[in-house]
Amino acid sequence: MSTGVIGMLYAAATLFVMLIGVPIAFALGSVALLFMAIFMPAASLDTVTQNVYEEMASITLLSIPLFILKGAAIGKSRAGADLYSAIHAWLHRVPGGLGIANVFACALFAAMAGSSPATCSAIGSAGIPEMRRRGYSPGFAAGLIAAGGTLGILLPPSITMILYAVAAEQSLGRLFLAGIGPGLLLVALFSAYAAWRFRFEYRAAYAAHAATGAPSAHLQREEFTLAQKFSRLPRVVPFVVLLTGVMVALYGGYATPSETAGLGAVLALALVAVVYRLWRPSEIEPMLSSTLKESTMLMFIIGMSLLYAYVMSYLHISQSAAEWVVSLHLSRWVLLSTILLMVVVLGFFLPPVSIILMTAPIILPPLKAAGFDLIWFGVVMTIVMEMGLIHPPVGLNIFVIKNVAPDIPLGEVIRGVLPFVVLMFLAVVLVCVFPAFATALPDLLMRGRS
Amino acid sequence: MTHSAGAPKIDVSTPGRLASCARGLASLNRALLIVSMGALGLAALILSTGVVLRYFFQTATDWQDEAAVFLLVGATFLCGAHVQSLGGHVAIDALSGVLSARVNHLRRILVDAVSVAFCAFFAWKSWTLCHEAWMEKQTTSSTWAPPLSIPYGLMATGMTLLALQLALSLVVRLTRERAHA
Repeated sequence: MSTGVIGMLYAAATLFVMLIGVPIAFALGSVALLFMAIFMPAASLDTVTQNVYEEMASITLLSIPLFILKGAAIGKSRAGADLYSAIHAWLHRVPGGLGIANVFACALFAAMAGSSPATCSAIGSAGIPEMRRRGYSPGFAAGLIAAGGTLGILLPPSITMILYAVAAEQSLGRLFLAGIGPGLLLVALFSAYAAWRFRFEYRAAYAAHAATGAPSAHLQREEFTLAQKFSRLPRVVPFVVLLTGVMVALYGGYATPSETAGLGAVLALALVAVVYRLWRPSEIEPMLSSTLKESTMLMFIIGMSLLYAYVMSYLHISQSAAEWVVSLHLSRWVLLSTILLMVVVLGFFLPPVSIILMTAPIILPPLKAAGFDLIWFGVVMTIVMEMGLIHPPVGLNIFVIKNVAPDIPLGEVIRGVLPFVVLMFLAVVLVCVFPAFATALPDLLMRGRS
Repeated sequence: MTHSAGAPKIDVSTPGRLASCARGLASLNRALLIVSMGALGLAALILSTGVVLRYFFQTATDWQDEAAVFLLVGATFLCGAHVQSLGGHVAIDALSGVLSARVNHLRRILVDAVSVAFCAFFAWKSWTLCHEAWMEKQTTSSTWAPPLSIPYGLMATGMTLLALQLALSLVVRLTRERAHA
């Protein structure tokens, strides 16, 4: 049987077991086992568990549970609400300052917690009611938080980027740094849209007030004294110090990425104990158990995805598919667009973890052959997968927002996120036209280092 | 389109062999969850301590990565069954809305059967690997050289419990199928 036919059977079998609803980890593992049994030497089945263990026993991969623990510790405390209220107090004079405060709070929280749903939940639970109270339309408020939450997989420490670094065999340190520029670009685009949208809604409220005398929360001004502004800082500063400290430890050469994850988790637990007095076993347990639930699910998918990719490679499916793509002689931008479109479509069905590990062996060789920088591509691919977090049919963040603000109709939430999908697409175009958004910072800070 | 894979609810308060099995597994899962919480915290502490020891006391910490790997691999596999009992292993939920209740029930039985078969095979091969590592006194290649039977044993235990948890789901579905027939 030719490699092409085996490859198509492999894809068809995967599609079948996944679509009938077998959990993704077991689906990938069972298809890999089936094809090992049929097309590979019998002895390969004896080493299947050893293969999975050796792939999983990577300290870089195993930093994922620790980064999740750091995020869970911060996410289960009131840090998100405090961060949001402090930024709001300092930005209230800027037009649309409340919306911009939410974007900034999302970015900072995402960088501390590293999780999109956790960011949406923590900032959204305080930010959405406050924005609505101040007259922001519910769809806009929901869209802002859903989009702000996606920064969690772009700004370091991003779990998606850890997996990409492993799959593409790229430097994790460089990849983390490469995410910062495009992350700040997205923060700027979201903030600019928040300011524009605020002015639009403000003018409409002003016109209605002038015409009918109808009151609007948009027209009310909120004032903070300097003392009030400073009084909000003490609870926030320790977490910003944690964020900075972790980055200094990583890029100052004091700690490896895994040590940074461990250190970050311990410091985050210590901070929530000191600042929020969350130290009793009954308060720590939810942090640890939610971490284990999420990380176990992810690590099972990662382990079985790696087994799946190993079988694909052994049977020369990935190499043949990559050679076929190269033989099409597509122009580099058509190749990139096709691959990104495939990522978008896969994002309808699969979480980013599986997309990266299943497609990396096929898509990275043609991209490398076409002269693309794989660090830069990792950032572009991550932004595209971020879009998947807020566009239907999956749109995980949309459903998190529905939990935080159940009275906002789903249709309104979806209409609210669509402008942000467009902004993210614009960011992808900008990063493609100006690759320095992603490459400048790692080139500057890690010249000559891996 | 991804969601948490559904596990059938078993009323553990009612008498009967299935409920006893469910109670037993739930207790074991709970105990292993607590052990895993400890392992997770310990791994974070070990990695943090490694940084401090290296930079302040210039002490070699070649053991810390392997110790953390053992703890985290153990925590991952030992929690597999607990996560399954919560329906935490995500799956694609594309067909449940379009199939009839009867076909959906059969689909779920097929899903459980495929999952049990995979996990049982994996558990069997993990025990074989663990047995080999134990008999041949295999260790890692580092200077610390801890026995590989430890992580292999944790992997085998976790996958066995996961297979049992899935088998319990399958038996519950089949029992309900028979009761409805």
